[in-house]
Amino acid sequence: MSSLIHFSGHQHFRQRLVLSILSGKHVRIDKIRSEDKNPGLRDFEVSLLRLLEKVTNGTIIEISVTGTAILLKPGIISGGSLSHDCPLSRSVGYFLEPIIMLAPFCKTPLQLTLRGITTDEHDLSADLIRTVTLPHLQLFGVSDGLELRIKKRGAPPEGGGEVQFLCPIVKQVKTLNFVDPGRIKRIRGAAHAVRVNPQFSNRMIEASRSILNRYIPDIYLYSDVYKGDESGKSPGYALSLLAESTTSAIHCAEAISQPGVAPEDIGLQATRALLAEVNMGGCVDRKHQTLVLLMMVLGSEDVGRCRMGEPTPRTIQFLRDVKSFFGTSFKIVPAEPGSSQLLYSCYGTGYVNANRALA
Amino acid sequence: AQTSISSTRKTRRKDWTKLIYSTSLTPEQILEGAEEQEGGPREDEMDEDDFFQIKTSRAEGDDVLDQSKDVLSAAELKKWEDEEMLESIRHLFITGGGEGGEGE
Repeated sequence: MSSLIHFSGHQHFRQRLVLSILSGKHVRIDKIRSEDKNPGLRDFEVSLLRLLEKVTNGTIIEISVTGTAILLKPGIISGGSLSHDCPLSRSVGYFLEPIIMLAPFCKTPLQLTLRGITTDEHDLSADLIRTVTLPHLQLFGVSDGLELRIKKRGAPPEGGGEVQFLCPIVKQVKTLNFVDPGRIKRIRGAAHAVRVNPQFSNRMIEASRSILNRYIPDIYLYSDVYKGDESGKSPGYALSLLAESTTSAIHCAEAISQPGVAPEDIGLQATRALLAEVNMGGCVDRKHQTLVLLMMVLGSEDVGRCRMGEPTPRTIQFLRDVKSFFGTSFKIVPAEPGSSQLLYSCYGTGYVNANRALA
Repeated sequence: AQTSISSTRKTRRKDWTKLIYSTSLTPEQILEGAEEQEGGPREDEMDEDDFFQIKTSRAEGDDVLDQSKDVLSAAELKKWEDEEMLESIRHLFITGGGEGGEGE
């Protein structure tokens, strides 16, 4: 059948599932860690498939006996009020990132409660999703009622956190035309420390300020306090930072506690990572390239433009996968002669949310 | 004058559209700047007459996690301990040089 798209390997698992569900095309993924000592899907991948089953209606997922191959026949994206317990092998960010790509196209607005780890070193933390990822969705006209509430924090390894994600539905996303990165006008940040000395937050903030104070006066780093049951089951602390420009371009970075590393050093790490990110330039930071590019593809039938830095390896594969599912390819040219920043443009597919209840 | 410092990053001409859509290079190879013909890992330690081939599964395995945050590289972070490096991005902030000043 022509609508079946085939991939091999466990890499880029999430984006392929998302693209399949959005495009309605069946996807088969095989050779999932088939050479590994412990072959097949990991618990978090199975959990993600279960979550996607909950968010949709009529989706058929077949997993081979060995777990090294799956077939997904997407149904409609239904949304509604749902909850899901995430395994402790990945944080809630792993699950939210693909869900955010689907949520605006639900039949009814999504209210999703996720329980598990809220901040870890692999995925966007709940803080960055709230303060950086969601504003990126707003660029495309998904805004009223868009919210992420961090009810309880959960540090690895035991987690115990809880977040609630609320997303409105849209008929169509707007075309993006974002080519002026502007200049950084403010820096914001949140430090949290759970089940450790609460002073750790302030120590991270002070260390971060020791670098940032030189640049601009508008810096507000606050210490987010969670107590008792709200602070989860394990000790941990982290600093999440974002830099916002005059044109509302946002760059972000964070660092989380590691055994034997002082809070000051975590604060410095986060700050230096932020500066590295700012230095890459562009209107969208590296962590949000795929989200923005996806929404550009789904935008109305017009040319969308966005200026960004060089694509990450994930982004390159994403661009190729988008072409497999939607047939859309981007034009990628230097933003100015000699510039390392690039201008990504594509013609939107005019994707219409057909799931939306007619009202 | 300040802006010229930031452009010291080497910017080799790349035809991104072509590299992404019409080559079979892996994303990593594209970023390393490999050409189509000389791609692939260098196996200089292996003799021609070695019968058993060691399977190079570089991109396989769980070291490549499906994650959106980049691994903070120590070298990249180290760069930012340098005062000159810190100064070099001042023009990216509203207070640094050019039209500068407050307001939009």
